[in-house]
Amino acid sequence: MKILNSNLSFYALCAALIGASALPVVAQDDADLYGDDLAMTASIDDPLEVFNRVTFDVNDFVYLNLFEPVADTYAFITPDSVEEGASNFFKNLKYPVRLVSNLLQGRLDGAWVETGRFAINTTVGIAGVFTPADSVEGFEPIPGEDIGQVLGAWGVSEGPYVVWPILGPSNLRDTLGFVGDRAVNPLQEPLSAIEDWNWEWKLALAGSEAIASSPTMIERYKQLEGSSIDPYSSMKNGYTKYRDAAIKE
Amino acid sequence: MKRLPPVLLCLLLVFSSALSATSKPTETLVQTVNKALDIVYGDCCVEISLEEKQIKVRELIESNYDITVLIRRAIGRNWNKMNSNEQTQVLELVKQLVVKAYVKGMNGKGRPEITFDKTIQVSPKRIEIPSVIVLDDTPIRVLYRLGLMGSDWQLFDIVAEDISVISNFRQQFDDHFRKENGADLITKLEELSKKDDLDENIKL
Repeated sequence: MKILNSNLSFYALCAALIGASALPVVAQDDADLYGDDLAMTASIDDPLEVFNRVTFDVNDFVYLNLFEPVADTYAFITPDSVEEGASNFFKNLKYPVRLVSNLLQGRLDGAWVETGRFAINTTVGIAGVFTPADSVEGFEPIPGEDIGQVLGAWGVSEGPYVVWPILGPSNLRDTLGFVGDRAVNPLQEPLSAIEDWNWEWKLALAGSEAIASSPTMIERYKQLEGSSIDPYSSMKNGYTKYRDAAIKE
Repeated sequence: MKRLPPVLLCLLLVFSSALSATSKPTETLVQTVNKALDIVYGDCCVEISLEEKQIKVRELIESNYDITVLIRRAIGRNWNKMNSNEQTQVLELVKQLVVKAYVKGMNGKGRPEITFDKTIQVSPKRIEIPSVIVLDDTPIRVLYRLGLMGSDWQLFDIVAEDISVISNFRQQFDDHFRKENGADLITKLEELSKKDDLDENIKL
């Protein structure tokens, strides 16, 4: 009888365990449905909101009325393969920024992969137009790093959110990072690797890069804006969360 | 034939029931996503209008999930700043806007390829289902977050490329309610739902 009782207890325990994992938890109230998120307020430091919103509206007009026609024309007259090649070429040129950013964060693995990718894509991939490194084991694409991410990894807080004319969303930390990116890039002053690097060349390079990246940029911009109730707030949140994730990655 | 020892039998039962607890919501989600794509891209629905597709997609989603939960989570504590009439109107308008954004955003593009990864059991009441959506050759990481609410697994957030849809909408609602009220929100939502040129580009 004792054995039977202990068996019964054992099976009762098992039944309880099974029930706990298989049956739904008893109905909950609002707090369970919406949890601690009810108290959570999305807080992004935005003391320049008035200025930012005006700049956002001006940018919106410029993107959709000036840049989008250029992007559409570029995408229309350029075969997809050429479009992709141009994008690859400009991305490859920014290798120094990614290398330095990896090194400054102590990511030696990342620096090694970026260097390998640059070497393979520049030589076998004809100046970076193609990306044969994608299929080389150990040199597959990794998330890009920049100086803004370095500052974030070093513990620099993001500072106030800011929307720059044409450049778009940023914050104080990423603005400093942007300046740092330009300083590290040998194709841009003051460290230009090319002699007689006059403003015409710089303008041509910057313009080509902007046009090459414009179809993707405009598409992403419209995607984020399209489903928003308040595109400014949506962009602010999207930019900030995206950068946070890139720093933590 | 040897009988299974009771301990092993119980462990198997516990394990299998825990497994089914996570496999069912995953199956439901995968089926819902695929059926929604069938409505937008499938042969069954070639002839029907975008508005009809929106109705079908909404019916499909609502048969498996409560969209109200998602919207209320996005609104957060701003919910209490509206009267009951405004709450009802806002819920309906946001539902319309979100479904319209999904259907119109997908329309005219190639059917995306979706790969679901292994379900992650965060806690007994929370799971996450990672996926990769390849849309126009661009891979997008999307994480579906579900919670056991009452008797059902409820979708409570979607995180695309590290950006939480709920957090993003919460930001918008918070910014709105800092300066405006529920009536203003309804006006804004009604304007958005009527805005034809926006609809052409709307995407989720």
